[in-house]
Amino acid sequence: MSESCEKVALPVKNDLGFFEIRMESIGGLGANVAGKILTEAAIIGMGMNGAGFASYGSEKKGTPVKAFVRVCEADTKVRINSPVEEPHILAIFHEALIRAVPVTAGATPGKTTVILNTRKTPTEARDFLKLSGGAIGVIDAMEIARATRSRVNMVMIGAIAKISGFFEWKAVEWAVNDMFGEKYANLMKGNMEALRRGYEEVKIEEFPKDGKYEYKPFQRDVPKYGYETAPIGGVLFEMGNMRFKDLSTSRTGIIPLLDLSKCVRCGDCDLTCPDFCFVWEKGIDPKSGKEGMILRGIDYQYCKGCLRCTHICKPGALVPVKEAEQNIEQITVKHKFLK
Amino acid sequence: MAQTAKSVIGRPVQVKVVQNGNEIAATAVKQINYHIMGYYPITPSTEVAETLDSMKAAGEHNVSMIPGDGEHGAAGICYGASTAGGRVFNATSANGLLFSYEQLPVQSGTRFPMVFNIVTRSVSGPLDIRCDHSDIMLAMNTGWVILMAADAQAVYDMNIMAPKIAEDMSVRLPIFVAYDGFFTSHQKRRIEIFEDAQVVRDFVGPFVPTASTVDPANPVTIGSYMNDPDYINNKKQQAEAILRANDVVKRVFNEYEAISGRRYDVLELYRMEDAEAALFILNSAAETAKEAVDALRKEGLKVGLIRPNLIRPFPIEEVRAALKNVKGLVVADRQDNFGAYGGAMAIEVRAALQGLADNRTQIAAKVFGLGGKEFFVEDAVAMLREAVEIAKTGKVEVYYDYVGADPGDSSYKAPKAFNPLSEAEVTGLITVEEKDGKLDVKGNILRNLTERPSRITQGHGACPGCGLTASINAFLKGIEGHVVTLWHTGCGMIVTTGYPWSGHRSTYIHNLFQNGAATLSGVVEMFEERKRRGEIGKDEKITFIMITGDGGHDIGMGPSIGAVMRNHRMIICEYDNQGYQNTGSQLSFTVPLGQSTSTSNYGPFQRGKGTHHKDTTQIFAACNSPYVCQAAESNPRDLIRKAAKAQKYAEEGVVFVKLISLCTLAWRVEERIAIPCVQAAVDSCFFPLYEVERGITTINYDPEEQGKKIPVSEWLKTMGKTKHMLNPEMKEALDRFQAEIDRRWIRLKEMHKNPYL
Repeated sequence: MSESCEKVALPVKNDLGFFEIRMESIGGLGANVAGKILTEAAIIGMGMNGAGFASYGSEKKGTPVKAFVRVCEADTKVRINSPVEEPHILAIFHEALIRAVPVTAGATPGKTTVILNTRKTPTEARDFLKLSGGAIGVIDAMEIARATRSRVNMVMIGAIAKISGFFEWKAVEWAVNDMFGEKYANLMKGNMEALRRGYEEVKIEEFPKDGKYEYKPFQRDVPKYGYETAPIGGVLFEMGNMRFKDLSTSRTGIIPLLDLSKCVRCGDCDLTCPDFCFVWEKGIDPKSGKEGMILRGIDYQYCKGCLRCTHICKPGALVPVKEAEQNIEQITVKHKFLK
Repeated sequence: MAQTAKSVIGRPVQVKVVQNGNEIAATAVKQINYHIMGYYPITPSTEVAETLDSMKAAGEHNVSMIPGDGEHGAAGICYGASTAGGRVFNATSANGLLFSYEQLPVQSGTRFPMVFNIVTRSVSGPLDIRCDHSDIMLAMNTGWVILMAADAQAVYDMNIMAPKIAEDMSVRLPIFVAYDGFFTSHQKRRIEIFEDAQVVRDFVGPFVPTASTVDPANPVTIGSYMNDPDYINNKKQQAEAILRANDVVKRVFNEYEAISGRRYDVLELYRMEDAEAALFILNSAAETAKEAVDALRKEGLKVGLIRPNLIRPFPIEEVRAALKNVKGLVVADRQDNFGAYGGAMAIEVRAALQGLADNRTQIAAKVFGLGGKEFFVEDAVAMLREAVEIAKTGKVEVYYDYVGADPGDSSYKAPKAFNPLSEAEVTGLITVEEKDGKLDVKGNILRNLTERPSRITQGHGACPGCGLTASINAFLKGIEGHVVTLWHTGCGMIVTTGYPWSGHRSTYIHNLFQNGAATLSGVVEMFEERKRRGEIGKDEKITFIMITGDGGHDIGMGPSIGAVMRNHRMIICEYDNQGYQNTGSQLSFTVPLGQSTSTSNYGPFQRGKGTHHKDTTQIFAACNSPYVCQAAESNPRDLIRKAAKAQKYAEEGVVFVKLISLCTLAWRVEERIAIPCVQAAVDSCFFPLYEVERGITTINYDPEEQGKKIPVSEWLKTMGKTKHMLNPEMKEALDRFQAEIDRRWIRLKEMHKNPYL
């Protein structure tokens, strides 16, 4: 964009003059990059002002991450740095997140449009997210990304741009080009297609605040321990309590499935699993009739879907399958931690 | 990075860019075209070096980028470079600044200017990577000039002004530019920069040395030993220079305004004209607090805000003038000077007003926002209201207090996750016996070992397919009995902790990775001493294991070697994932020639890392450790056997174990093919599986003998990060890498044959 633009006015803004976007995702799906693209599109592409940033921390692949965009008119200053709590657009990149993160907190009917990457209809999405009401948009970003050989974030940017009511298509297109064009020229056709389909195919429906679900305000983290209750020095006495965490949100569609009839109890899977998901017990080996360690199953609470085990399993007892086609609760075998 | 033109009559053309604080710092450095950047990566400052390295690979500047072996080393590189007559830059954060601390007075006391960006972060421990000012405030009194950059625009502007201030002949001191970690360093903002770098270079001017260590025609002595008749004079001279900087800063601020149109004052006074109550606060939080000032002004309250751009020298006169009519002041510090009833600014402001006959200002000190705790407009509103109250009553109710701390819920009871590991759960599966001077391991059967609980628990936050949790878990499976592990800072430590969570079933301790081996030495010796004194049962047995990444053996190599020399009974286990993967894949010394990392980018003007990989295992072998070995999870029984042997040999002294540990993220390998990728590293002889027992080398798996040896290119092509190594223009580098692997392998085979090698 070499030409300066006419001043763009925002259709809606909060008290400080911002239109705010929050993206809920997991590391690896490109929410942070999506934020950067939208920020560039607004500032350089449209001559506005704003800020783009992500939740700060060690960003491991598969861990929950938030990305934020604040857009304001050209003369408004950006003086705040805090995360977006009550966004105008809340874009959820990964459905499974709702198991681990209160992603919908602060979604306010009449203000927020929620966009969910899903195969669900808007009504199903509303029930799935238990939203008190308001506008809900759905888009099958995973499928579009697959079909266009692009990524989920491109589709979501398209959908966000559409719903914002002020992002100019040309500016967004230009910002995507600016981010990837030179380095990944061969992917640009797919990216543009994904972007366009996100823009065109997002389906929005408005739901009244009918009392079906309660409004969930945004709540800032309240630590478990405080200065009057925490053991001094940050010392922890509760060993191993990470096992209470649910890591299934790291998975992106494929899981290992165990066919015990093919298992030869070699132990290869147990050692290659970085997340210690395999549940073994002492028992009688059905083949030899002797006592030994027997594999019982997989504890899917911890499985991140890396599929190392399916590759290492020589007899083919572990195979990759689509998670959507399985009933995880039925096939999971829980570890017995406290004996 | 794109731009839109903006021209103002009479001034050089500036363009708009969207960059974050780190990127814009790098842009300023690029435009100035410093001679040297000596650095060591640490969050959140790392991106400065990464951005510059990536620009360098694209041919955008000629700054010589030199990664240190740690921040102390980086500071040494900078010091040396600054004595050699050129312009020098560095960037760091938190404990990185503290690790270089000892060098700071050397730099200032010998009067060699340089620019050091501090991307502020809380100082460990406990380790917190987010923003506060506990790092920069510990460097307040080291003789450096300190500029505070409140937002990304200021980061750019101050980085252009900083060398001009530092190099002024009346100053000649090093200078910090400090900006807020994450809030400023990582938020993308609209920034205006000069389109033509020459404008910046003309403004800064050429570097004029006062002395040079590389001019044989004019030899100099730098760093004489100096006794008491002279030392105090040197300090008086230095003290006068930093005070003179106040005027120089003002002059340079004015000169910069003339070319940029952006005005800076040593104190920014926001709506202070008639303010009776005010907030004194630094950097990004001050920007947020301006919203609060505006809100209270709407209510008709006479409030304002003071935000210093310069804190060393401390602008005493300006502070006094600004507070002349202020009756109530809250000074809010994003750090605490523990025991001093206030943070650094509170103390400085109180001291500035001391002795003023007509002082009317009453001050309350607040400590807020530690460790990155968010600062909201309403927090600033509350502070300003307190200032208003003080102005009204003339009384300070609370002289010093924390804002935003939580007392906690006394009814909270942490749920129990596990019982402590019993003796029975961790013993009885593996035996090690000495036969004919050699150790024989039995019981390393994977199926049987499934009975042994993981000492790392489920629920840790490693990436899907992580090699380090798999490798370390396998290693710990081979250890009998109770263990205590000390983890260096790094991925393993981060993903298995995170307060109030623990991913460990046996006792875990962390220390920063420049000092883990020394720390564990202390643990081991206290255990032994308490046993000797009868405070701990003499039959109590614990195996002590330090776990480090390969990065921890760049910065922490010295203490590890020290521990070997002292013969403590412990194991040092290194997971080698070939880079600083926890912070986003920067170069470590184990990264091979030509490989691309975020600080050794591959591009038309730079061909990845320029040196061969460090052979850490041979360094430990050369220290005559009783046992050193290399193992890989592709050969798990061998790995577990080596763990068992390591435990036995650790009764004699420090043993060293190196595990190659795949990082799916940085190596860009599909998670499911982790094992074949590691196997290829082994089969190419890049990572031979061998052990050195009391000086005698044995190759445990010889791919050559088994007809499995592959050229290293076969391994490289399995990883996204090394695909470029197969490009035609990398042929020479690839050949050199292969030749180095061959040389080390042939040497190892000779050592295998001859017990004296």
